[in-house]
Amino acid sequence: MFAQLIASGLVNGSVYALVALGMTVLYRSTTIVNFCHGEFFMLGAFAVLIPLQTFGFSYAESIVFSLIFLFLVGGAVEKILMRPLQHAPHISLAMMTIALSYLFKGVSRFFFGREFKPLQPLIQGRPIEIGSVILLPQDLLTVGFSLLIVVGFFFFFQKTQTGKVIQAASQTPRGASLVGINVPMLRNLMWGVGATLGAVAGILIAPTTLVYPDMGAHMLVQAFAAMTLGGFGSLPGAVIGALSLGMLENLIGGYLSSSLVEITSYLAIIAVLIVRPQGIMGEWRQGRG
Amino acid sequence: MDEPNMTTTLAAPARGSARRIGLLVLLALLCLLPLAINDYLQFVTNTMLVYCLVAVGLNVVMGYLGQLAFASAAFFGIGAYAAGLSMVYMGLSFPVAMVIGTACGGLAGALVGLPALRVRGYYLAIITLAFGELMRWVYVHADTVTFGSGGFNVPAITFFNAHIGDKGKYYLFLATVVIGVGATSLLLRSRFGRAFVAVRNNELAAASLGINVNRTKVIAFAWSGLITGLAGALYAALNGRVTPDTFGISQMLMHFAIVMIGGLGSLAGSIIGAVLLTGLPELLRNFPGLEEIVFSLLLILVLFLMPKGVGGFLAGHIPWLRERLYREGKDA
Repeated sequence: MFAQLIASGLVNGSVYALVALGMTVLYRSTTIVNFCHGEFFMLGAFAVLIPLQTFGFSYAESIVFSLIFLFLVGGAVEKILMRPLQHAPHISLAMMTIALSYLFKGVSRFFFGREFKPLQPLIQGRPIEIGSVILLPQDLLTVGFSLLIVVGFFFFFQKTQTGKVIQAASQTPRGASLVGINVPMLRNLMWGVGATLGAVAGILIAPTTLVYPDMGAHMLVQAFAAMTLGGFGSLPGAVIGALSLGMLENLIGGYLSSSLVEITSYLAIIAVLIVRPQGIMGEWRQGRG
Repeated sequence: MDEPNMTTTLAAPARGSARRIGLLVLLALLCLLPLAINDYLQFVTNTMLVYCLVAVGLNVVMGYLGQLAFASAAFFGIGAYAAGLSMVYMGLSFPVAMVIGTACGGLAGALVGLPALRVRGYYLAIITLAFGELMRWVYVHADTVTFGSGGFNVPAITFFNAHIGDKGKYYLFLATVVIGVGATSLLLRSRFGRAFVAVRNNELAAASLGINVNRTKVIAFAWSGLITGLAGALYAALNGRVTPDTFGISQMLMHFAIVMIGGLGSLAGSIIGAVLLTGLPELLRNFPGLEEIVFSLLLILVLFLMPKGVGGFLAGHIPWLRERLYREGKDA
């Protein structure tokens, strides 16, 4: 049972990792904690569901549509709403993301009410047995995709020229713009990327959780917990925190009580912040200027 | 603004008498209001009164102490549960239950103030948000006491054995709000309130002036919990029913939005924010989705046009509305 709990914990954790990674990328490049990230997640799932079930697109086409759509939404949010406020106090920026969260939730509720929509799995198939662990093909796909994206991200940020430029821009925005890096453009790009990451997570988890306007709120808290656990703003921290959270939830649910699963993330947040506020990997801070 | 670099604007006290007369006229009008409106509008007005207290309570911590604390939905819930349950189990009358709800809110506030001594900024926001969700879990799972996820009905409120309707509640609520807001205003002008603002502007400087920063923070949190707990007790009486789902993250975000729209560190702003944001969704209740859309557009509009909130905007244009210790925008 232990192996099974760990394995399905990793499946959940890898989805949390994608959401937390998206929030961390945004936090690092803009120092904004994005309260509407859960809604990007929800919109990503709806943007697959609508073309697929209403307009008869194929699954692959719908996914491509959803990713492009969310990239554009993220970019538009930055350009129209966040950029005019870039010199406003942090608390106003947080308020803006909260307002956006209401807006997106309102729009999806306007069209779908309080319905719960099912979405078919990406791949069908019989459960796969590996030793004592049984996983669905969809689970393996989720883990595989998440792994691919996480590894891709680290490679991109550490090894490529563009990745290093983005790192520079988020470490010292002013210094970066002095050496000719287009910081606003990169911020715009990172909003797009963050939203797309949210969408990927939404698409991967939608077949197991159903699609509904409020699906983002819970995921937002999980991502907060993962980020806090791993170290706020640290990219590896977000991933490690997310995977630990996924496993922790399952172990607590399996060995103690299933009613404790929903508060694991809250308990983790409270315990970490009181005992080790910088998290597992240590927090990340933007440099001066 | 005439004093651009000052973080704290001290209003000239000479306009005090004009303001006092204005307030009395407003109060008299408010006392006559139930004669002019129907039962439904009365209910909406009562809700507005409850949220006035909530906003003032949260503003003490966010606007005056300058801490990003997201626990006011938890205090609100604790007040509602404590007041409601003490009426159910002990058969207490509402005024006594109200005192119990207020006291429990204050205790919870002091408790949440403790981590705030160590954790700040977004971390404080997240840890307090987690506390709120934890409380909601307790309401659901401590079902032998709290009646679980379905919640419970609060006994009807009576006054000398006579049933009190919404119009009666209005006068009770109005009196409570006047006392609560008045007491907060007095506290903010006292040594304690000035200490809140000093800690907000610069903790080190405040400490060097002999202010006990830790004690000041706990006091501000306790007061915030007290006022919000009182609001929770009123809320229980208003709806006659208490359910765990009411006190979730969306409730918290609503409180945050009210304070931000009204303006940090402006009591008048908090009241304006509460009236606006409680009234508006009520008008659109029958259009699913539209409620959130209009609500969010209003938030966006205020953020763009009035960066200091409606309260700050009015204070900038109408001098006699300026409050003492008014908070100029400062990064959180």
